This record gives sequence, C-alpha cells and structure tokens, in this order.
Amino acid sequence: MKFTKARILLLVVCVLWLSATGVGVGLLWDYENTPGTASAAPAQWPEASRLRRSADGATLVLLAHPHCPCTRASLGELSRLMAQAEGRVTAYVLFVKPRGFAVEWEKTDLWSSAEAIPGVRVVRDDEGVEAGRFRAATSGQVTLYDREGRLLFSGGITSARGHEGDNAGRAAIVSLLHTDEAGLDETPVFGCPLFAQSDECQTGKEVGHARDEH
Amino acid sequence: MREMNTDPKTAEAIRRRAEELFTEHQQAIFKRTDRMFAVLMGIQWVAGIVAALLISPKTWAGPNSQTHTHVWVAIFLGGIVSALPIALAVTRPGHASTRYVIATAQMLMSSILIHLTGGRIETHFHVFGSLAFLSFYRDLRVLIPATVIVAADHFLRGVFWPQSVYGVFAVSSWRWLEHAGWVLFEDTFLYIAIKRSASEMWDIAARTSEIESLNEGLESHVVERTNQLAATSQELEKEVAERSLTQEALRASEEQLRQAQKMEAVGKLAGGVAHDFNNLLTAIICNSDLTLRRLEHEDPLRRNVEGIKSAGERAASLTRQLLAFSRKQVLQPKVLNLNDVVVETNKMLRRLIGEDIDLLTVLEPSLGQVKADPGQIDQVLINLCVNARDAMPTGGKIIIETANIYIDEEYARRHLSVRPGWYVMLVVTDTGCGMDAQTQERMFEPFFTTKEVGKGTGLGLSTVYGIVKQSGGNVWVYSEMGRGTTFKIYLPRTDQVAEQLQVDNAHDESPMGTETVLLVEDEEMVRRMAHEILLMNGYQVLESSHGAEALDKCRQHEGPIHLMLTDVVMPQMSGRELAEHAAPLRPEMRVLYMSGYTDDAIVHHGVLDEGVAFIEKPFTPNTLAHKVRAALDAGVAASN
Repeated sequence: MKFTKARILLLVVCVLWLSATGVGVGLLWDYENTPGTASAAPAQWPEASRLRRSADGATLVLLAHPHCPCTRASLGELSRLMAQAEGRVTAYVLFVKPRGFAVEWEKTDLWSSAEAIPGVRVVRDDEGVEAGRFRAATSGQVTLYDREGRLLFSGGITSARGHEGDNAGRAAIVSLLHTDEAGLDETPVFGCPLFAQSDECQTGKEVGHARDEH
Repeated sequence: MREMNTDPKTAEAIRRRAEELFTEHQQAIFKRTDRMFAVLMGIQWVAGIVAALLISPKTWAGPNSQTHTHVWVAIFLGGIVSALPIALAVTRPGHASTRYVIATAQMLMSSILIHLTGGRIETHFHVFGSLAFLSFYRDLRVLIPATVIVAADHFLRGVFWPQSVYGVFAVSSWRWLEHAGWVLFEDTFLYIAIKRSASEMWDIAARTSEIESLNEGLESHVVERTNQLAATSQELEKEVAERSLTQEALRASEEQLRQAQKMEAVGKLAGGVAHDFNNLLTAIICNSDLTLRRLEHEDPLRRNVEGIKSAGERAASLTRQLLAFSRKQVLQPKVLNLNDVVVETNKMLRRLIGEDIDLLTVLEPSLGQVKADPGQIDQVLINLCVNARDAMPTGGKIIIETANIYIDEEYARRHLSVRPGWYVMLVVTDTGCGMDAQTQERMFEPFFTTKEVGKGTGLGLSTVYGIVKQSGGNVWVYSEMGRGTTFKIYLPRTDQVAEQLQVDNAHDESPMGTETVLLVEDEEMVRRMAHEILLMNGYQVLESSHGAEALDKCRQHEGPIHLMLTDVVMPQMSGRELAEHAAPLRPEMRVLYMSGYTDDAIVHHGVLDEGVAFIEKPFTPNTLAHKVRAALDAGVAASN
C-alpha cells in the first residue's frame, strides 16, 4: 500500500476522530458512573419523621427530586423492587419541594410514575424537611428500616446515572426482604442533588459505606 | 463458476470479466450502503438530540436547574461520531476505510443512544439492528470493528464500572464474553447471509459474463458471417460481371470471326475470279500494246486499240484490288519507316484531296520500322485519304499520324487475331460526316459503297483491309456521325534497318537480249503473247504448255537455256515443282515466275520468297521485257 498524502491525511483524521470519540465516550462513561453526594442515613428510624414506619415489616423511603431525569430510572427500579418484595415492605417516595416554587411544581411525570407503583405512598416533602431527617442529599437515595426501626440499607437502586437495569442496590434490598441477608447495605446513589449544593447532579465523590465486594 | 466454455483462454477471459462485474456490483453496493448510512447517521444524531431534549432536558440541584449533560452529549459527541462517517460516505464512498469508520461510528452511536435513553433494554436492540444494517455491505470485514467496539464497551465498563453493565459490583473477568457472545451469535447468521449473498452475486456476475461472452461471440459470428456473405456476394457480382464481359467479348469475337469468315469467302471468290481475269487481261493488254506498236500514229484504229488497252489496265487495277482484298496478291515487303512513306506520298495525296481539305501530318520522330510492301502501304494511304476526301465534300481536315504503341495481353485477349507486342501505328483521321454503325459493320466488304453509282468501286477499304491483314497488321475504326472518322492501322514493329525507298522509274524502252528463254504457260493466250514479246525483244524462245513438256525441252535442247519464264499455277506440275525438277538438268538456268495471284508454290502467306524473280499478271510487254532482262542480268551478276 502506498502512503500517499491523502491516505496519511485520512489516517490522521481517523486517529483524531477516534481519539475525540474515545475521550467523549470516556467522559460520558465517567459522568454516568459518578455517584451523587454520599450521606450516612440515620441508623435508627428518625422519630421526628412524619412518616409512619410499618410495624409489620420493613419500611422503605426513597427521596427524590421531582424534576431530576436521573430519578426516572430509580423509580423504575423501585417498581421492580416492589414487585419482587411481594408486599413485604411499606414504601414511601418523598418528593422534595424547595421553597418558592409554585403549587404542584412537584407534580411531574415522576410523581405520576411513583403513584402508579403499587404499595407506594407518594408524599411531598416541603423544603426537604424529611430528606434532612433521613440525611438524604441525592435524588434516588433509598433507606430501608426494619420493623424495629433499625437501618437495613442505604443507597441507590440504579447501576449508573439514570440507568435502569440489574443493580446491586435493588438486589440487596430484595435479598433483605426475603432472607434478611444482604451482600451489602450501602450503594452509591446516582441522581441530582436534592439541595442547592452544586451546579450538577453529582456534588460529591465520596461514596458512603459501599462495600466493594459480592 | 460454471465453465461453459472449454477454451482455456475464453474461460479465463470470462472469469476475469466475472471478477470485474462482481467488483462493480460490490462497489455499487458499498457506495449505496455508504449513502444509506450517511443518511442514517444524520437521523440518529438528530434522534439522539431529540431524545435528550425529551428525556433529560435539564438537570437539577435543588431549586436550580441547567441544561442536562445528555443534551450536550447528544449534540457534540453525537455530532463528532456522525461527522466523519457522513463526510467519508459523501467524499469517499465505496472505500474500505469509509465502511470501517461507519461501522465503528454506528456502534458508538448505539452506545450513546443507550445512554441517552437511560439504558433501556429496548435501545440495546439498536446494536443488533446496526449489525444487521452493516451486513448490507455484504462485507464480513465490516462486522469486525463493530463487534470489537461492542465487546470493548462491555469489557472496559466491566473492568471499571461493572455495576453499570452487569448490575453488580464484582463479576467474573470473562463476563464480558457473554455479551460479546450474543453479538457473535448474530454475527454468525450475518456471516452465513453475507456468504450466501456474495456467492449469489458471484453467480450473477459469472452468468452475466458468460452471457456477454456469448453475445459477443454471437455478434462477432454475425459480423463474420455477414462479411463472408458480403464477400461471396461481391464475388458473385464480380463473376456475373466477368461472365457478362466474357459473353460480350465472345459475342464480339464471334462477330469478328463471322466477319472474317465472310471476308475470307468473298476474298476466295474474288481471288479465283482474279486468276482467270489476269490471264485474260494479260492477253488483252499485251495484244493491244503490241498492236499499238505496229499501228501508225495516224491510223484510225489506234484510238480503238488504245481504248481496249486502257480498259484492260483499268480492269487490271480492279483485279489487283480484288487480289489485295483477298490477300492473294504477291507482296514484296521491305523494312521501311512509315514516316518516309507518308512524306513520299504527301505531295501526291495533296493533289488527290484537293485544296478545300487541309492535310496535316503528326509524325513520331523515333518511329519504329515495319516490314511491308511500300507500294501497298502507298495504296493504303491513298485509299484512306480518298475515302476521307469523299466524306468531306465541303472541306475539312485530314490528319495523318504515326506512333509507336504497345498492345498488351488484355487488349489482345479482347480482340481476335491481335497478338500482344510492339506495333507502329498509322492513323488517318478526317473531320467528315462519319459512319453509322451499319456502315461500319460492312465497310470492308468488297463492292460495298455508300458513294453514288459510278463514283466508287467499293474496293478501297477492302483493299486497305486486305493489305494490312496480309502484312500481319490490324485495322480499327472509330467513327462518329457528323464528327469524323479515325482509321488506326497497326503494323508489327521490326528491329531491322529500313531500306532506302527506290522510285520505280517508268521503263520506256524495252531492253533487248539474245539469250534463250524457255516459256512455260498452260494458258495459250498468255503463252502466245509472251512468246511474241520475247521474240520482239530478240530472245530465242522455247515454248511449253505444261511442266513435263518443259522438262523434255530441257533435256532435248542442245544449246543453253538461260532463263525459264514459267507460270506458277499450272495443272499437274506447278511452276515451283518444275523449277526444282529442271534445276539438275539445267543448273545454270534462271527462273522467272509469273502469276496472277499467289499460292504456296513460291510465296508463303502472300510474301515472296527471298531471291525469287517474279512478274505479276497482268503485265505489259515492256514490263515483261524489263523483268526478263533483270532476271538474266541478276544471274550474270551472281555468277560473276
């Protein structure tokens, strides 16, 4: 093969293109897989919470931003989780409504999606009071307490940002509900910040107590 | 490829052509698919942006919002991924590099779309759809980068973010192969489909090549056959034309033969009559001449006798012409230059044709020689010029030309009795009234004339014809009514040197002699006349009426016999035979032949043998006296 000027140019262009797309895809992957701010949920059910913890079984609380597109995946996973839980859990989805927004600002398609999940109660959390009680910082944060109010699990139930599909968080919760055992009790949360702490959804890199093991 | 043609060269040519067709078809498919992908890339890019705007237009942080990263990813990363394949598909369609870039970009686009749609399982079908679409290229190699991209995607994400792919944080290091396996699973079917498709394409190319070859062969066969038919047709046309020409030539030859036979028959008749006539005329002319010698000048009978003599001479002239026409006259040919003949006769010709007619001569300076009787050639010129004069009653031109000419085989083949070779041409052209075809057909016949009664004998052209033919030549005529006539006489050219023409002076005085002459003549009238003339001139005469008697005289006569004057054509023994028999008896005796026409006794084809003395009948007493004296003197000169 003769290396003519045109061929060399084409080769250079292809290399540059591959590099650019490689970098772009790499950044996308990094973005998708970077979790939100990690927070340590209270080990005991917060007594101040207005939510009523189930006395018969576990109680699940999902804190969500009503406009976070990433949370759509979390609600999808919650739906699957509820189906797999087979009534063994009482679930709340709390939509945080910051101060100053119009009435029903929180009533988005996410609200409707959450309402549509059987066994899930949807609650508005004005100014994030409840979110604060559960120490949630990222939309999609799930906490699971047993009937005695002990924390069983805290973290996200998506494998990546806004990415539906099998994930460690859902698998752990389902396992806890059915067997009282879980491979892990913390996972990273992928979603928008519930509070104005940064410009992006991901506001911190620290992942709470997620264990890097099976 | 099916081998329909057993010729290795043709089979190889068909195979090469099939390869060309296959490549052409493949290129067309590559280009077409490139264009389809260019469009698809654009659509996917736009679809990615739309999806990003619909699904995740904004990202939120509490009460704050801003454009979601997915939107920028859809616009910019999608744009970058789509840009190069679109550009290459437009600028370099059909190139392998374009296909590989497209394959890579398509799989990257699958990855982007999956991310933009939140990793929905449905979007993953884009990967398999893209593979299927890439198989449109019918190029297995295109599947390689596509498969590598998918496998690499899963492998790398499995290594760095396993939960994003497998939903768990820790997986087997070979887990990525499960995903890649499904892709390879599809690749297997695509491989089979592509192989079959390529095989069908090759079959089509091979069949097309064979059909082209057959068509080409058929076309060349048709062209070849058409050319053969055209050649055959041309050959046939040529043959028909040649046959037509041959038939025409044959008809002309038959006509010439018929004419020649007719002339021959007429000639024989004329010759036969002339023989007897000459004997009679000899008697008439000699008797009248002798009578005139004896009559006094004032004798009233003198005019009558002169009238008889004149009539005899005119009759002799007619007989000579008849003999000339019938080619029975005796020629005494000499090597001569026709230019000399023309010059010699010029004065006389001018006198003959009169003042109203211009006589022009165009003579070839380097004219070849001919062997002919100069007297006869004079006759030819005179006859032609007189004829020309009669064709121009109100004046005109007569042009006499001479030239050297070569008659080739082709010309000779088309003209009966003409032999190829060098000839000397004598042309006499007039600007007279010309002749129609009918006249031309009969003009050489004796006694055929278009002149008024009494103005022409009808023997002029016949004489010309006879002289020329007897001289080994040919005569051709070209005439146009109202424009004139051209006679062309061709005489065979000879390389011998021309002799000086001698003017035949009139012999007024009869030479005398005392020698003994043996006269042999079967015709009594002629014998008596000759006897008398010889006696008058002082000779001793022994007379015999036939050959046997003459031989007896030779044996019995005691004195010398100096000359034998003998007729040629005699019953029982010809003059030539007599001379041969007499030679042993009288070796010193000279022989002078006399005859009215020729036969093979002393002449061959009318030409007198070399050294033979001859006197033509009818003769005058004076002529006979001169000939006898000349023959005797020649013998003396020879013996000296």
